[in-house]
Amino acid sequence: MSTPFTAALDALTRLKGVRATLAVAAPDGITIDSNLQIGQDGSRVAALAASLYRRARKSAVAAGFGGTGFMHLEAAEGRLCLLGGDEVVLVVVARPEANVGLIRVEMLRVAETLA
Amino acid sequence: MIKAAVEGWIELPIRKFVDDSQVVLALLLHPTGQVMAQHGFTRAMDIMSACALASAINASSVELGKMLDGKPFSGLHHGGVNRQLFLAETPTPRGPYIFLTVFNEESSLGLVRMFFDEFRTNLASAAPPPPATNQPTLNENFEKELNRNLAALFGRA
Repeated sequence: MSTPFTAALDALTRLKGVRATLAVAAPDGITIDSNLQIGQDGSRVAALAASLYRRARKSAVAAGFGGTGFMHLEAAEGRLCLLGGDEVVLVVVARPEANVGLIRVEMLRVAETLA
Repeated sequence: MIKAAVEGWIELPIRKFVDDSQVVLALLLHPTGQVMAQHGFTRAMDIMSACALASAINASSVELGKMLDGKPFSGLHHGGVNRQLFLAETPTPRGPYIFLTVFNEESSLGLVRMFFDEFRTNLASAAPPPPATNQPTLNENFEKELNRNLAALFGRA
């Protein structure tokens, strides 16, 4: 079943080093649409990533930095890239060697088309 | 002192769930409405009411699920303006229990569902084997057991 996010997620998934892409309902942390590989637990990633993004946005506002745009988490085994707003968060799970700059540009482009 | 659980084996799983999910209220009860563990309640009367309502809602949703889908619904979510409610059954070797939790914007349905799955596994592995003689819950014992459990939770036992 396709959703308004399917094409956007497909475009992000085609980037080199991307392992999974998700569109997540920001307030609930529930997956709206996703491209996952076998064995990946999308609901866990969605819940935790949305929570992380929500808290980062709150922290930025509390610190007087204004709204949060792109967010990048670097871990030993991979990268998590997040971009969103009050309603939806786009999540990209990538390998450590993935080009974050390219992922960021593509996420911003996709977000514009969805707005 | 307010204790978290009537029986010791429940204490750790419910504390872990509350710490991880950052929920406001949590309640574990027997399907008959007997409280087994709680977090966040300060009055015995509120626990009694919540247990009675949760038990009734669970019984209704189980039957509704059977009617519509041929099997009980696995969970129930109600999204309020400021607070949300999640209610689900959790099986253990001692039989099923009902879990009710209330959360606000500090948590989310996704987190609650995720940590509830862990809680369900932890509770099932922590549960001791069922007693050899499983006494049915009789009407004449219900109030006595309810008061005993509430007294244990509120340090009056």
